[in-house]
Amino acid sequence: MGTVIEVQKISKQYSGATEYSLNGVSLSIKRGDKLGIFGPNGAGKTTLISIICGIIKQSEGEVIFNDGESSIELRSMLYKIGYVPQDFSFYPELTPYQNLMYFGALYDITKTELKQKIKSLLSVLGLSHVTHKKVGKFSGGMKRRVNLAIGIINDPAILFLDEPTVGVDVQSKNAIMTYLEELNRTGTTIIYTSHHMNEGQEFCNRIVLLDQGKLIADDSLQHLLKEYNESSLEALFLSLTGIEYRD
Amino acid sequence: MRKLRASIKKEFLLLINDKVGLLLMYLMPVLLVFIITLVQDSTFKLVNENSLEIIIVNKDTGDLGDTLISHLESTGTFTIKKRNELSEAEIQKTLLNGSELIAIKIPVDFSQNLNSKATNISINMLSEFEMADTNNLVNYSETLPLIMFYDPVLQESFRFSVLSTLYSHLSILENSLMIEKLYAQMGYDEIPKGMKNQFMNNQIKIDQVSANSSSREVIPNSTQHNVPAWSIFAMFFMVISLGGNIVKERLSGSFVRLQTIPASFSLVLISKTFVYVFVAITQLAIIFALGKLVFPFLGLPSLVLPSNILALFVVSFLSALSAISFAMLVGTYANTQEQANGFGAITVIIFAAIGGIWVPSFVMPSYLQAIGSISPMHWCLEGYYTLFLKGGDWYLLTPTLLFLILFILACQILIYIKLKIQNYI
Repeated sequence: MGTVIEVQKISKQYSGATEYSLNGVSLSIKRGDKLGIFGPNGAGKTTLISIICGIIKQSEGEVIFNDGESSIELRSMLYKIGYVPQDFSFYPELTPYQNLMYFGALYDITKTELKQKIKSLLSVLGLSHVTHKKVGKFSGGMKRRVNLAIGIINDPAILFLDEPTVGVDVQSKNAIMTYLEELNRTGTTIIYTSHHMNEGQEFCNRIVLLDQGKLIADDSLQHLLKEYNESSLEALFLSLTGIEYRD
Repeated sequence: MRKLRASIKKEFLLLINDKVGLLLMYLMPVLLVFIITLVQDSTFKLVNENSLEIIIVNKDTGDLGDTLISHLESTGTFTIKKRNELSEAEIQKTLLNGSELIAIKIPVDFSQNLNSKATNISINMLSEFEMADTNNLVNYSETLPLIMFYDPVLQESFRFSVLSTLYSHLSILENSLMIEKLYAQMGYDEIPKGMKNQFMNNQIKIDQVSANSSSREVIPNSTQHNVPAWSIFAMFFMVISLGGNIVKERLSGSFVRLQTIPASFSLVLISKTFVYVFVAITQLAIIFALGKLVFPFLGLPSLVLPSNILALFVVSFLSALSAISFAMLVGTYANTQEQANGFGAITVIIFAAIGGIWVPSFVMPSYLQAIGSISPMHWCLEGYYTLFLKGGDWYLLTPTLLFLILFILACQILIYIKLKIQNYI
């Protein structure tokens, strides 16, 4: 499988901060990866995703995108990228349909195609019955699913998810993870962060652990468990990052 | 175009879902323009139409008191209420409690002493030519003064203008009486008719010409001031809706999501500008229509639209862009919605106060007028004044239009800097 994103010695120091939030992180993301980025609070997970997606600029290093043939700029990749932020990044005053019509049009998708996509997406994510109701009145789990629907409206080749299941009920989490599995099966590369170790253990084929802005592990779950002689991702996580609070 | 259309549609949907914002942008200015115009209308009438109600207490036993009253009535300046029964103490009480601002008391010996004075002057004049005998001089005591009572709220300048009207008519009365006595001393029973009229009407006329480049003369009134003034206030009050809307979008992460989508951020700014220009123009249309069509039914002056419609459109468009740019600036720099609403509302109120929205700038002290010129609302209002009262000449409008363009540019540059720092652009 070819590399789609090459992260080379990325560092980030926010203005006014004395410490680096990310310090010389390098990794290669392969096509079809289900990459989980884990770490304690303040480890640099969101910063890393934000830099790769172009939301913030790195202080040092480079992010190189590859469309399969040559290196290309992020701007040219935006049509192929999907991003699901940790916050509910939509308009609560609008309905799921209106939100999706707006964000979908920004990808230049035609109205007819958009209508079909929206119908199918909302059906898969169990939101058909609230298509024309204002999102602001939805439960946390429903809002998460709307957030996800917007992120994948353009059928992305690479999907970034920042804590996509935080604060949701079991049913919503199941719906989201099942759909992500389905997306990955159809060729979408998935990069996501989560606090839920079990979720990562079940879902990811590759684990990246960050601590204090540094990459401390990057391999498949089986290899990592074997290398550090641990029985679960959670145990591995604690053994590598310690039991002390990091916030 | 698909992206722009979608973005504009989204802004419209957000706007119609913002019920409080819509009330603030449409209902509040309509109520304000009605209330303030009704309140200010009587003051403008007082200043512009000079129809001042005054009480006259005529204690004169002769007929010259009545003559003076008929002179004052003939000016059309006053609506006279005769209350001869009032004592001085009662006059003061009436002024403090009633709607009248001025009362004049004519003394009891007014006719008698004015006649005696005129007789003596005529005898003295003719005696110089040995045509009369000074032994015929009559005895008279110094005339009791006319007393003008006034409500303390009455402005000094206005009091002086009433006083000068009184002096002018007293002078005419005295001159006329003196001529009568001169003719009488010379043995004539009455003055030739033409002569008397000459003395009564020999004042040199003063024509008044308004410095107005248009052939139409528009009298400043409460409508001509309040309709554009509160339309401007309404436009700038968009800061609550638009400024808050920008902060909300930024805090919700919608702007962050936009960074990962192949759409320029300027699309957001353009679509917001488009929608809020529409809001501003509809605000203007509604308030102007009320001024033109509804005000007359309430006894208020009807709005007279300027003849230069193109200039009206340009001034309105630049005023709308100034208001939108200011709202966007507040929304871009505020950290929270509360900050945007609080700072935005207070700033707009200060801009309105110093910019002449509530009280016309010309009644402010000169230092406050100088400070007021930093308010964009002052320049918007200047633009409308030039259009509504001065004929809307492009040359006269140039400083106003230049200031507004500079203000818009300054806001847009500051917005760009902030968005650049935040990596949105």
